[in-house]
Amino acid sequence: MVFILGVNFPERNLLKKSLESFFGIGNHTSSRLLARFNIHPTCRVGELANKQVLDMTAVLSDMKIENDLRREVVNDIKRLKETGTYRGRRHALGLPVRGQRTRTQIKTPVKLNRMERRM
Amino acid sequence: MASAWCWSCLSRLRPTTRAVLPPPSAIPRLTSAPFHSSAVQYAPPLKKKSNSMTQMKYRQGQTLRRKKKKTVERARPPAPGERKALRKRIILSNPNALEVEGMQEISAENIVDARLRGSVLGLPVPMLDQLRAVQAFKPKQGWSIFRRPGAVVRRDTVEMGRLFEKISGEGDAAEKGKVVKKVITGTKGTGKTVHLLQAMSMAFLKKWVVVTIPEARELVSGDTAYVPVEGSNPIQYNQPGATSALLMRTVEANREVLSGLKVSQNHPEINGVKPTSTLEDLAKLGFQDPAVAWPVFKALWTELTATAAAPGMEKDFQPRPPMLVAVDGLAHWMHNSAYRDTDYNLVHPHDLVFVKHFLSLLRNGQAELKNGGMLLYATSTSNNPGVYALEVALDQMTARQAGIKPTSPEYPSAEAYSNADPRVLDLFKPIEGKEPQMELQTLGGLTRDETRGYLEYFARSGLLREPVNENWVGEKWSMSGGGIIGELEKLGRHVRSAAIPTPAAN
Repeated sequence: MVFILGVNFPERNLLKKSLESFFGIGNHTSSRLLARFNIHPTCRVGELANKQVLDMTAVLSDMKIENDLRREVVNDIKRLKETGTYRGRRHALGLPVRGQRTRTQIKTPVKLNRMERRM
Repeated sequence: MASAWCWSCLSRLRPTTRAVLPPPSAIPRLTSAPFHSSAVQYAPPLKKKSNSMTQMKYRQGQTLRRKKKKTVERARPPAPGERKALRKRIILSNPNALEVEGMQEISAENIVDARLRGSVLGLPVPMLDQLRAVQAFKPKQGWSIFRRPGAVVRRDTVEMGRLFEKISGEGDAAEKGKVVKKVITGTKGTGKTVHLLQAMSMAFLKKWVVVTIPEARELVSGDTAYVPVEGSNPIQYNQPGATSALLMRTVEANREVLSGLKVSQNHPEINGVKPTSTLEDLAKLGFQDPAVAWPVFKALWTELTATAAAPGMEKDFQPRPPMLVAVDGLAHWMHNSAYRDTDYNLVHPHDLVFVKHFLSLLRNGQAELKNGGMLLYATSTSNNPGVYALEVALDQMTARQAGIKPTSPEYPSAEAYSNADPRVLDLFKPIEGKEPQMELQTLGGLTRDETRGYLEYFARSGLLREPVNENWVGEKWSMSGGGIIGELEKLGRHVRSAAIPTPAAN
């Protein structure tokens, strides 16, 4: 098991997929991170040297990911609501925000958009 | 005459199976008790009247109710690596195939024998481990249909055998220390990889050192670790894992030769080298620690290409044997690799130290192999990236061999705006007046005689149950696109299932 940013990953997992398990890191960011440290794309977590793990953790801790990013998104939505914008109201009403039709197929906004929004 | 059976009983009698009823006989039986009991007992139960409307319970829903599927306990999935091992498995023998009587083995003497053209020579059993170590056999090849592995001797094989003899310093036209560089091409199924295998087997017979890269793709597909070389500009990359694997392959296959040669140069950059250690010991240093694998490989290379010992180390110096370098799938080294540099740009394979080393050997005019040897770099058609610059370079080489001067207007060149990779074109650039030059060897089909010998081998192995005669061979030769050996093998295999003994005409 290898600790990266406080999370324990099994050694046989792919490093790229493990990085993508963090909120805010997708394909784009993870492949760039690998290239930055000269790690090949099919590297497993167990193949990393100790120094590489520390470097990776250092870089990840400087990035806005996980709870920081979640908080930012929630705050942005909150700001919209407080300033009384149309988008804010739609968020609060549980309706689609970006002009989609509401006759059918609005399960996702009904599920997600509410007064106390969670990410 | 009144019957012994009562009428009402007869009317209730239903036709049942024979086993239940007593066999009918001319003389009626007087015992009636068993009949009464059994007939009632075996009568089918009355069918219930099926009327769905009446059976429906009060206010029962009419929707379809499905039973939930029970989760079936499945067998455990295969362990990690098991499926890959199965996929990469190489079977070299089929005990069901017939043993071919009088089949010769390839030996140091018969590799130049032109009389053996068209016959299939078996590979000696002790050599199989060596060939497996250098990964000369590929999983998709049809080794598993014959009793023992063997390869057909064709014109190119005999020519190659002569070259081996020449470079080893034997025979009439000995040119000891000569370096031959060949790029092997050919259409699909022409036996490029097996040609390399034959070269390796000849090299083992002649006690050469064999260094192979069985899959050029593995070095550029981004599946092994890469480390930038400090202080290099432009940045070059080392591949410690791949280098370590190369050292392992080389030691495993050439143990006999390497263990007989002593270290003859100074290697201050490597710890653990003693003046008494053999080249095998030297190479083994790179197994454990991939970080030193590349310096160890360089040291091994300088040892193998040394023509004289360093001052003070002459005591145990023995002349080094010639070398065979075989690479399969050259085209993969001519287009961008899957590796990225720190700025997220793709790394060109010519910036990988490992690849660069083997490509620089190929360059025209470079005689890196001081003790002579052969460089065989084969292209592949089953797994081939389209590289325009390589196509142009190979066309240019063909034109040069046909006698067209590079200054002539007929000399092929890359089309304008085609964006051909200049580094690839530069690699194959001709250098006038400097030996050795790169040659292009294009493998084609077998001749009819060779085809006949090859198909006879199928017949003698019990795979082919048809008379192999001139007409039939001619037909198969044409059907295989003029003796393309991969197609011939398919035909030879195909006939096995089709050749069911036909019933005699009557």
